[in-house]
Amino acid sequence: MKTNARLALKGSTRPPENDSAFLLDQHSRAIPGRKHMRTFAHDQSVDMLIVGAGAGGSTLAQRLARRGWKVLVLEAGPFWDPDEDWVSDEAGSHSLYWTEERVIGGEDPVELGKNNCGRGVGGSMIHYAGYTPRFHPSDFEVRTRDGVGADWPISYQDLKPHYERLERELPVAGEAWPWGDPHAYPHGPHPISAGAQRAWEGAKRLGIEMRVGPVGIANGSFGHRPHCIYRGFCLQGCKVGAKASPLVTHIPDALAHGVEVRADCMVTRIETDQQGRCTGVTYFHDGREHFQAADAVTVAGYSIETPRLLLNSTSARFANGLANDNDLVGRGIMVQGAPQVAGRFPEEMRMYKAPPPEISSEQFYETDPERGFARGFSIQTVGPLPIGWAEHVLADGHWGQALREYMRDYNHWFTVGVLCELLPRAENRVTLADQTDRNGVPVARLDYTQCDNDRANIAYAKRKLNSILQAADAQDILTIDRYAHLVGGCAMSSSAGTGVVDSDHRAWGVPNLFVCDGSVMPTQGSANPALTIMALASRLAERLGDRSATAGRRTATTHS
Amino acid sequence: MPTPDRAADTSHLPNKGGAGGPAPPSQLPAQRRGTTPQLHGRYPDYDVLTSADRWDHATRRVVLERVADVPEIRFFNAEDERVLRAFCDVAIGQTSDPRVPVLEMVDAKLHTGTLDGYRYEDMPADPETWHRVAVNLNRTAVERGASDGFASADTELQHQIVDSFSKGELDWDIPVTRAWGVVMRGVLGAFYSHPWAWNEIGFGGPAYPRGYARLGPGQREHWEAPPEFSVDPVSDVPKRGLE
Repeated sequence: MKTNARLALKGSTRPPENDSAFLLDQHSRAIPGRKHMRTFAHDQSVDMLIVGAGAGGSTLAQRLARRGWKVLVLEAGPFWDPDEDWVSDEAGSHSLYWTEERVIGGEDPVELGKNNCGRGVGGSMIHYAGYTPRFHPSDFEVRTRDGVGADWPISYQDLKPHYERLERELPVAGEAWPWGDPHAYPHGPHPISAGAQRAWEGAKRLGIEMRVGPVGIANGSFGHRPHCIYRGFCLQGCKVGAKASPLVTHIPDALAHGVEVRADCMVTRIETDQQGRCTGVTYFHDGREHFQAADAVTVAGYSIETPRLLLNSTSARFANGLANDNDLVGRGIMVQGAPQVAGRFPEEMRMYKAPPPEISSEQFYETDPERGFARGFSIQTVGPLPIGWAEHVLADGHWGQALREYMRDYNHWFTVGVLCELLPRAENRVTLADQTDRNGVPVARLDYTQCDNDRANIAYAKRKLNSILQAADAQDILTIDRYAHLVGGCAMSSSAGTGVVDSDHRAWGVPNLFVCDGSVMPTQGSANPALTIMALASRLAERLGDRSATAGRRTATTHS
Repeated sequence: MPTPDRAADTSHLPNKGGAGGPAPPSQLPAQRRGTTPQLHGRYPDYDVLTSADRWDHATRRVVLERVADVPEIRFFNAEDERVLRAFCDVAIGQTSDPRVPVLEMVDAKLHTGTLDGYRYEDMPADPETWHRVAVNLNRTAVERGASDGFASADTELQHQIVDSFSKGELDWDIPVTRAWGVVMRGVLGAFYSHPWAWNEIGFGGPAYPRGYARLGPGQREHWEAPPEFSVDPVSDVPKRGLE
């Protein structure tokens, strides 16, 4: 009955213990709390120092601050003012992405940058499309069920209350969800575009179920968060403020509860004492090196920078890098196979309109032995803007006049994609490259090679996309192979020899070091990772508890 | 005036047009409003720049500067510039003025070190890759009989070389397919960031703060224009005095 009462109130219900939506300015997109933000001195040891203000770091900061912790977040990128810093323009959005040099290798190298790497307060969720699906219960026991990948040391039930809470905080809009653990969403489904309607018709003819959503985009009254205006530039940062990112969903409440977010600070080392406990971090700001003291450190720099920071934090005690006694830091990095297939239709589709995430299907998510490979994929819509569309046309083998002609035909096309669950492999890993960045710190190298199961999954999913567009009577079809998302690299595990952190995100062997971002995921499902990263952070805060309680247990006490 | 029959006809698309490849641009309607690269396009009555006063100030500044301020070449040396200008023209099919200043836009990114955030382990950094591409294009052109290099080669040879480049069928001192990816990413990122190219393809452009309201099939906002598939260039071009 309680649930029904809440749903009857529709989107206007206030989420518990998070006032972010009500702390925003109604007339400007800058975060008002920044002007009055608390500041900590360098020698003032904060209770928790968090490296990275993305999905994991921001959510953890907000939760811990509500529990009385003194929290400082160091973020390598800027503290965005969307009115001034963001533009409705693909090429002009370059500053949203992590574009410092990195090296990529392996047999199937993963291109980084604008596709999968963010910087600045809000992290990659500033430029994610907005899909916020939950993981399925099966994702947490892939090894047991399917004999591949790994089991998580926690279950779906551990995250479920946090999924539910976050879906109200973002808020998530979509139809009632039939897959995984069936559930409803606090906001109703958004309208969908012409192309999504056509793709859905094709799917129906093949017996493929699709649903609208789930997206972290307000669809109705929600505090001071504006309604979506369907301008389609979700990947360029939501100037509107309708799309959920930590900048609007958790940072305002965090600041109101005494968190300092120190932007433009690149952490280069985690410092430790003789006992092997963290004492704080070294970081660069405006070319100058600083030390910040902390009782405990959480790394939330995502799957490339988190391993890089740990590997660069060497000392006499940790000669191979922090938390890396078992040579597991940086291993098991995963991306999702994400080919996209575009279809041509007689009517104008104008796929630049409406948010790219419109409808999706998780019908093929779990293992089906008849397909001949383990695990599966999800189907989602995408809406490339001109530069993205040009890259799609190029990938199909066109250039010069042929490419120009496909580009002139842009308004007649619509694009669907998949997210294929690729399996974790130890040799897919982040290491340190020979070259250094402008601070003299070794940069990350990412090697990636698919296994046979991965290739079979991608090939099957691509055929499925083709068949949907054909069933929708597409007149011509163009395909691009690509990857999406990044997770893994510091997997959580039930024992020290099999992962980097325990089920409470605490680094094996370093009692006051935590990792709280997508890198702790042992497997990735075929869901977009943002909501799960936030849910993990929310659960971690609950596990860490009130500051007074943990201090008593010496969870995160000052070194002597 | 759009004719549904022509819009449904796909014979103009490279995959559907038989062995002849895409229809020649001379068969496209000439632009009547605003500017498109080479003054033709599918939307002769559409000029996205007439909406600039509806864009937010940050977007307006970035996009209008892109049109108004063509940077000087600062990164490429004179020979690289000559070769790569010819390459960019072929790669994106710019046969005449007005041209989107692709090479200048690429040069500006390389000059300011605005890179994409990754480098293949067997590749040099992107700026060096562009230079190596210029050197290798010249070498291949000389090998195929154009003694003065790629920029002076005839159009047919230039197209043959770029075609080989696109298919990775060249023996160069850098991985050819990856080099193609690097330079084409630069070319496409420059060309399709330019409002003249948006006019050519009928892209609605920046839409903040006004947004889009008409999402259904064939629906248009009041400032969007229909595509034109029905123009007969034989009568159209002289009629508009464009010859």
